[in-house]
Amino acid sequence: MALFLCGRVFRLLTLLVAVSLLSFLLLSLSPIDPVRAYVGADMLKVGPEQWANIAAYWGLDRPLHERFFRWGTAILRGDWGVSMIFRRPVLEIIGERAVASLALMLTAWTFSGVFGFALGVGAAMKQGTWIDRVIKWYCLTLASTPSFWFGLLMLLTFAVWLGWFPVGLGVPAGVLAHEVTLSDRLHHLLLPALTLGITGVAGVALHTRQKLIEVLQSDYVLFAKARGESDLQLLRRHGLRNIALPAITLQFASFSELFGGSVLAEQVFSYPGLGQAAVQAGLRGDVPLLLGVVIFSALFVFAGNLTAELLYRLIDPRLKLKERYL
Amino acid sequence: MSDTQSLPIANRRFSRLHINRRQRTVIVIALAAVFLLSLLVGAQLLDEAGLSTSLTERNLPPALAHPFGTDWLGRDMLVRTVKGLSLSLTIGLFAAVPSVLIALVLALASGLGNKHLDAAITWLADLFLAVPHLVLIILIAFVFGGGTTGVIAGVTLTHWPTLTRLLRAEVLQLRSAEFVLVSLRFGRSRWWVATRHLLPHLKPQLLVGFILLFPHAILHEAAVTFLGFGLSPHRPAIGIILSESMRYLSAGSWWLAFFPGLALLIMVRTFDVLGDNLRLLIDPRSAQE
Amino acid sequence: MTAKKLLLVCLLLFGLALLSAAGCGGPRNSAERDGRQANELVLAIGGEPEAGFDPTTGWGEYGSPLFQSTLFRRDHSLAMAADLATGYEVSTDGLTWTVGLRSDVKFSDGKLLTAEDVVYTFSTAAESGAVIDLNNMASVEAIDAQTVKFSLKQPQSTFINLLARIGIVPKHAHGPEYAANPVGSGPYKFVQWDKGQQLIVEANPLYHGQKPYFEKITFLFMSDDAALAAAKAGKVDMVAIPEAFARQAIPGFRLLELDSVDNRGIMFPFIAAGSQSKDGYPVGNDVTADIAIRRAINVAIDRQALVDGVLDGFGSPAYSSSDGLPWWNPETVIKDADVELAKQILSVAGWEDTDGDGILEKEGLQAKIPLIYPAADLTRKGLAMAVADQLRPLGIQLEVSGKSWEAIQTLMHSNAVLFGWGSHDPLEMFNLYSSETRGTGWFNTGFYSNAAVDEYFAKALAATNEAEANRYWQKAQWDGQTGFSAKGDAAWAWLVNLDHLYFVRENLDLGSKQIQPHGHGWPVTANITEWRWKE
Repeated sequence: MALFLCGRVFRLLTLLVAVSLLSFLLLSLSPIDPVRAYVGADMLKVGPEQWANIAAYWGLDRPLHERFFRWGTAILRGDWGVSMIFRRPVLEIIGERAVASLALMLTAWTFSGVFGFALGVGAAMKQGTWIDRVIKWYCLTLASTPSFWFGLLMLLTFAVWLGWFPVGLGVPAGVLAHEVTLSDRLHHLLLPALTLGITGVAGVALHTRQKLIEVLQSDYVLFAKARGESDLQLLRRHGLRNIALPAITLQFASFSELFGGSVLAEQVFSYPGLGQAAVQAGLRGDVPLLLGVVIFSALFVFAGNLTAELLYRLIDPRLKLKERYL
Repeated sequence: MSDTQSLPIANRRFSRLHINRRQRTVIVIALAAVFLLSLLVGAQLLDEAGLSTSLTERNLPPALAHPFGTDWLGRDMLVRTVKGLSLSLTIGLFAAVPSVLIALVLALASGLGNKHLDAAITWLADLFLAVPHLVLIILIAFVFGGGTTGVIAGVTLTHWPTLTRLLRAEVLQLRSAEFVLVSLRFGRSRWWVATRHLLPHLKPQLLVGFILLFPHAILHEAAVTFLGFGLSPHRPAIGIILSESMRYLSAGSWWLAFFPGLALLIMVRTFDVLGDNLRLLIDPRSAQE
Repeated sequence: MTAKKLLLVCLLLFGLALLSAAGCGGPRNSAERDGRQANELVLAIGGEPEAGFDPTTGWGEYGSPLFQSTLFRRDHSLAMAADLATGYEVSTDGLTWTVGLRSDVKFSDGKLLTAEDVVYTFSTAAESGAVIDLNNMASVEAIDAQTVKFSLKQPQSTFINLLARIGIVPKHAHGPEYAANPVGSGPYKFVQWDKGQQLIVEANPLYHGQKPYFEKITFLFMSDDAALAAAKAGKVDMVAIPEAFARQAIPGFRLLELDSVDNRGIMFPFIAAGSQSKDGYPVGNDVTADIAIRRAINVAIDRQALVDGVLDGFGSPAYSSSDGLPWWNPETVIKDADVELAKQILSVAGWEDTDGDGILEKEGLQAKIPLIYPAADLTRKGLAMAVADQLRPLGIQLEVSGKSWEAIQTLMHSNAVLFGWGSHDPLEMFNLYSSETRGTGWFNTGFYSNAAVDEYFAKALAATNEAEANRYWQKAQWDGQTGFSAKGDAAWAWLVNLDHLYFVRENLDLGSKQIQPHGHGWPVTANITEWRWKE
């Protein structure tokens, strides 16, 4: 057990180092000039001297390995650096934004898992009927639709036309922080969570459906049917455990989305989150912010996959990873 | 209509035509192939002139002269949609197929190989999953110099990890099945086991993975193009067309989004149908039904 | 099967109905203001400043920093007026600027604003590594509590614009946390900022200017579509919109079209090909180096058609980078949409279509010009494509392509590029057309130079008052013989000025508006103290 944990911790550390290196390399290979990205639309007003000043101020004129080394040693000391775009400490930015969207992402993640699984199961149990067809079309449509569109549609339908939900933000507009209630926050969270949940359904649903179809064709299921087991019994006794794996894999593989996947919510619902900031960091060459995001993201991915593997063993004892017949 | 079990009603209807199931499958495959081919050919035949702007005919709803309407620059949406579909078809294929293949190979290696290989591959998958997906696509596209190559590289390299993990889980489950163990005891090589025993079982999930990845690639292409690193934005690709039309959705020009979106959906469904039916033909269990 | 098909069809129709209904939006809620007080306002007009509200790092760059005040400001006719200052003097050599301050201005925390604060603000801004370009300022010092002296390295009559742009921060309250919690002497004071979502501000009771009507304003930071949805639902009182949304009607709201100097134009490489920039990029283009080509293009383009077609009527033709501004020369307006005249100009210069392919040639050179636009900008794309179509009958072929800004940097010296500028600072003209700025950064990417123009620029910068400077700026555009505008060297083909569009509640009076500069959104709050409900 201790060995197992040690192994995992070692993996985590190597992963963190590798992912920082990879991101840093990618950023440095990108043709984006961070200074130009920083200056943006004001480029006409900034002369070449000022350009050089900006570069020097942010340390952008130093050679690559020096920059990475400086960043690396700073991180080890606990200094995550200052973001160029926001001009504030990276930890602060990540803290504010990620925490704000955590409840949203968790809800959406759970919802898409449960709903996707249910759809997949429903489609497979009723394979060939119109239910199956509708679900399949539904999933394919979701996969082929730009999620931004879908989000906008939800916004227009539920918040504008029906008026059931607020039009955006995580808190009511114009209300001071201490006056915002929990029910306010929930009210603002529901529509984005629902939207994100629905858009995330397609993968889980279709893979689960496929798996269950296979399971239903197996001999033991045939035998169980011959014995007169009802559909529901079939599902409970033979189906669920066997089909859990793809669903679990997919769900926990998208664990990292919890951290940075809120771009849609931010764009359409103006819900606070880290997604857009992360993309901006990548686009504008903001090394400290991007690397900070990447490290946390890696932690989430790692945690997610570890959970998935532990669940594998729990659900299907055949998967004892230690045993190798080969 | 493409699944291994079918409704009695469907059989009844087709049996009236005296086509058996196998023939039906072949016909469906042929139709699907024809549809896709005609897209490609049609796009070539359609004149570039259809793409020119016409400032006096902007934002026209669908009518006889312009069956799919016109966009905000007066360009005919039918021409744009067909050309866009054909372009996206190629991009989608070039991005989705390699990604799926990489996932397959790595999953097999991971599941069948020794402990260290498995650890290495899953570690690599974690590495690629760790960077936020959109950012990674963009950065990789940059490295490859943008354009179609950049987009394809970006999408291919970011989407294999999830599918790999999924297929690996399948392989792990199958690995302990009796027929596999027996083959191995009999001395068959792992490669043989992989192709003969495991691959058929993985094909359904592979297909699902492909079907989901294909439109995903097309939609991502638009994002990269908007940053100037994909195709030139006035070459129509469905992803671009859809993204640009989003702005006009709020303004009420629904046809800008509806027809291209529907076209994409039909194309995806066509692949789905094609894949299922091919599998029906090839898979020995269902081929003789 | 038919019953189920019917069901599916019904579902589809229902879905479509939902779609169209949602697209139309409901008139239900937009008339109400949802229980807001009469003296409160909710606006969705601006981009959120990522770096916060600190003028020393670039906040309020387009004027009207909301929380702070500036020394001078441009009123609605763009004349320079004093705000914190009482006046200024420029020494005869143009290197020393002495500015007097009011003695009765207090920050929102009660402390008096003195010359110390001004000196602190400008010194900090110069070193902040931000977009404020104070490189020409050698030093700044306080002569006494009410007088500040700026020493410049070179005469720069446009320095006044920096004095009008940089909000003054309190020395005693400025630090790393300032950007998220600003204190200033502006009309509004900071209350709360939910990052990525909203900003809440309150009227500043200690403000030295006209007391604002609205006690509380909330700024929402939303994407275009979300903001429009909020307007339709009646949750905001004003929203900034792109021209794509302008053709809708929202009950209870009116469309506000503001003129702007936010322009778009085609930059031509001025010299022939063959050389390289200091970064190694190719410089020059043989086709655009021919003045006949540039003049012909300027004359042939139908700018009004571009405004009507690409901008949907929300704009105006542009003939220079500064149409309508005090330093604009109205003689730069030419008669355009004249393809016949353009053909004449070209044939006189020796361009002919010798091989019948529809493209002109001269001495073996074909009239093919690559035109590049920034890939993400739909408007520029539309303009580029429309102009290419307009020039085809002339025999000039524009090869349009969209590229990223990074790629444009490497290509902009040897290809035509669709740029967009527009500022309240005439220094922009200098940056675009002076031979001193050739190939530096984004300035004068075409390597344009004209000695007469340079002379006028020098005189304009050395001028000691704005009126004199403006005369020289105008001469540089066209002095009767030469200039950089279309009548002269035709270094650019300016196309259009965009209108800035907003949906505003019908009875919200926004006072008189300036010609807006390049940035959509915040500049519209320049006269926020004048806003009120109509009676």
